[in-house]
Amino acid sequence: MSLLEVRDLVAGYEPGLPIVRGVGFALDAGEILVLLGPNGAGKSTLARAVAGLVPVAEGTVMLGGGSLLAVPAHRRIGAGLGFVPQSGNVFAALTVAENLAIAAAVLPRAARAGRIAAALALFPDLAAARGRAAGLLSGGQRQMLAIARALIPAPRVMALDEPSAGLAPKLVGTVLAKLREIAAGGVAVLLVEQNVRAALAVADRAMVLVEGRVAHAGTAAALRDDPRVAALYLGGVRAA
Amino acid sequence: MIGQILIDGITSGAMIGLGAIGLTLTCGLLRFANFAQGEFATWGAYFALLIAGALGGAAPLGPLTFGWPLLAALLISMGLTALLAWSLDAVLFRRLRRHGNAIVLVIASFGASLALRSAVEFLFGPEPYYYSRDIAMTLRLAPGMRATADQLVVLALALVLMLAMHLLLARTPLGRAMRAVSENPDLARLAGIDAARVVRATWLLGGALAAAAGVFLGVTVQVRPAMGFELLLPLFAAAILGGIGSVPGAMVGGLVIGIAEAAAVPLAGAQYRAAVAFVVMLAMLLVRPRGLFGGRAA
Amino acid sequence: MTGLLSYLCFFATVALSYGVATLGLNLQWGSAGLFNVGVAGFAGVGAYAAAWITAAPAAAHWGGFAAPIALGWLGAMLAAALVAAVIGAVTLRLRADYLAITTFGAAVTLQLLALDLTALTGGPFGIAFIPKPFEALADRPLAFGAANLALAAAVTAAAFLALERLTQSPWGRVLRALREDEAAAASLGKAPARFRLQAFVIGAALIGLSGAMQAQFFGFIAPDNYLPVFTFQVWVMLVVGGAGNNRGALLGAVAVWALWTLSGTALALLLPGFWQARGAALRVVAIGVVLAATLLARPRGLIGERATVSRHVAQAGG
Repeated sequence: MSLLEVRDLVAGYEPGLPIVRGVGFALDAGEILVLLGPNGAGKSTLARAVAGLVPVAEGTVMLGGGSLLAVPAHRRIGAGLGFVPQSGNVFAALTVAENLAIAAAVLPRAARAGRIAAALALFPDLAAARGRAAGLLSGGQRQMLAIARALIPAPRVMALDEPSAGLAPKLVGTVLAKLREIAAGGVAVLLVEQNVRAALAVADRAMVLVEGRVAHAGTAAALRDDPRVAALYLGGVRAA
Repeated sequence: MIGQILIDGITSGAMIGLGAIGLTLTCGLLRFANFAQGEFATWGAYFALLIAGALGGAAPLGPLTFGWPLLAALLISMGLTALLAWSLDAVLFRRLRRHGNAIVLVIASFGASLALRSAVEFLFGPEPYYYSRDIAMTLRLAPGMRATADQLVVLALALVLMLAMHLLLARTPLGRAMRAVSENPDLARLAGIDAARVVRATWLLGGALAAAAGVFLGVTVQVRPAMGFELLLPLFAAAILGGIGSVPGAMVGGLVIGIAEAAAVPLAGAQYRAAVAFVVMLAMLLVRPRGLFGGRAA
Repeated sequence: MTGLLSYLCFFATVALSYGVATLGLNLQWGSAGLFNVGVAGFAGVGAYAAAWITAAPAAAHWGGFAAPIALGWLGAMLAAALVAAVIGAVTLRLRADYLAITTFGAAVTLQLLALDLTALTGGPFGIAFIPKPFEALADRPLAFGAANLALAAAVTAAAFLALERLTQSPWGRVLRALREDEAAAASLGKAPARFRLQAFVIGAALIGLSGAMQAQFFGFIAPDNYLPVFTFQVWVMLVVGGAGNNRGALLGAVAVWALWTLSGTALALLLPGFWQARGAALRVVAIGVVLAATLLARPRGLIGERATVSRHVAQAGG
């Protein structure tokens, strides 16, 4: 059994109007699965449904053998699932240190300082900016803080909704490379991306969603090398 | 003249600020304007009246008109009013929030405010009460600047409460969680914050501070069923002036409104007090709807 | 028997006058989504305007032109519309709950003015001896009551029919579209500010008319009539009847006025002597509980909005 198992998931913001229409996948520890697809395909909705922010109409979401569906969103981080939303993913009016402290508050008291230190070691930029309001950080720093925030409670699965959106091209590779490091520590990573080329470069497996259904699934390497799939679903983007 | 306006304005402004803290917090957190906030001050004042009466007469403290029973009553009343605010949320607002329309909440709070005020009027009658029949001793602070000992003690207590509230928000995990939920409820959930607990704490704190404002108003003016209603526009004005969601903003906004009211009384007459708060608020909404301290936009 | 019948006529007359205010509020809130918590202010403006125009000259207050009642009611609508145009021009662009606070503040301020500008308004004592319609019939209570009821019914019916036509017209459809999705409607080239101001002003004119009707049927007005309790009553009528529906607005007005009247009678019978003077306060508590219970149990009111509106409303309401 895999660490995260999603089966026949149907989800959407309004009853009777599903955006995700029967999607299933499995994700193991240390693995990165990237969700690709055109705008409106349901990638973000799928990630948000797993995080508990979008109502699930049908299907199951299992983490480590237990169902997440009955777990309210604010308890899912404690259950081992971290989520980084696309926008509004840091508390802008709070300082960097306060953002990190909020993330650590779900841990036992003795573990907090250690986890914050580990996150700062992964993102050294943040250590220097501890006293600043998160709203004043650069786009790259903000994204690092958002990832650090989700990482501090030591999740077993981390889902990220387009962490590279709005970043300078140079930073996209840096941020995605950090995900590889995080996965190397045994975390399963579910990554929603528009930045196909960069995402396929770090992912192990890829899944293409079209109109709320899985149109293709396989290894990232196979998708990189498959011109038909790339042309069909990814707007002609091809790996070199 | 100016000195007198300042001391009177600051005293009443401190009470307005205390009451406005709860208003600005619930408004920032739950995105609705609670018309019942003023009634928490009224109920707080009447709770203290009952409790101080039950505790019995004791000699006034120093130059004050009241003794320790009123101070004990203040604390108990803050607790009771906190519970009242929390139960109003539990019985009414929390259920309506599930329907998801903020305006329905405002209508409900408008109804709740009239019901709460009328309940007080039914139980105690329309006539004013006083915590003490003693004449307040007046002190001369500076040429042309007089204040009663009661006024000064009340001002000091109000400032202590504001400082405590500020420290709670700035320094404690609960305060951090309150600011987080106020800014971004979805992210707060993802970060593991139990929003329901934060909302509960906000009602309890807002109710307790409003009760203190009511008791202080009762000490320096009188205890009447309409006292909270008359406080309502100043409370809204202070919260909007300071920026919705900002606690320091509500405190400063309260002082500004208090001083503006005190300054307007010699010009327009005491009967236009509420209108002064309204005019200041309207000007603020039109010129700078985010408030002095850049809270949530209008 | 005659006494009871003429009382019922008076009851229905007053209920219908509240109905006109509820119709006005329904245009503002139900159709345009404008959150007016200053209903009492507009009703007061209408009442004082009608009193000034129709009353006989008196030393205690301004006006006293002794003009026909029809002219008084027309003037009341114009005066309320004018005040609404000024308030609306300043506040309608604010977010809904700020509009609520500012209209509330405007009503409080208007009430303070009515209390203080004694030379104009007669101050706290108000204006008495406002002529009643059909005063010639005053010595035959039943005929007098029936004639007044017929007048109130005719005015209410006219307002109802005009609003039905208005809300079914393209203008009404634009209003509802604006209420649901301002950005989308604005992108179709509809200027939201103008439509909303028009709805606000027309609604206020009806609320002013309702104030004028009550001034004339009671023959006496004072600032105390225009406290927030009045606003509250009209809101409860609209919420109980069902916002967005003119039939519901009228049904709510009659139902809530009946409840208000009956609860007054019941309290007078049930409360021991000392508490009777405070019965009015308990009545407000009772109506407040009715409002809360309606909002919780039947958020769309007794009738609710007709399903001609788009699916968004149905989903939001359901």
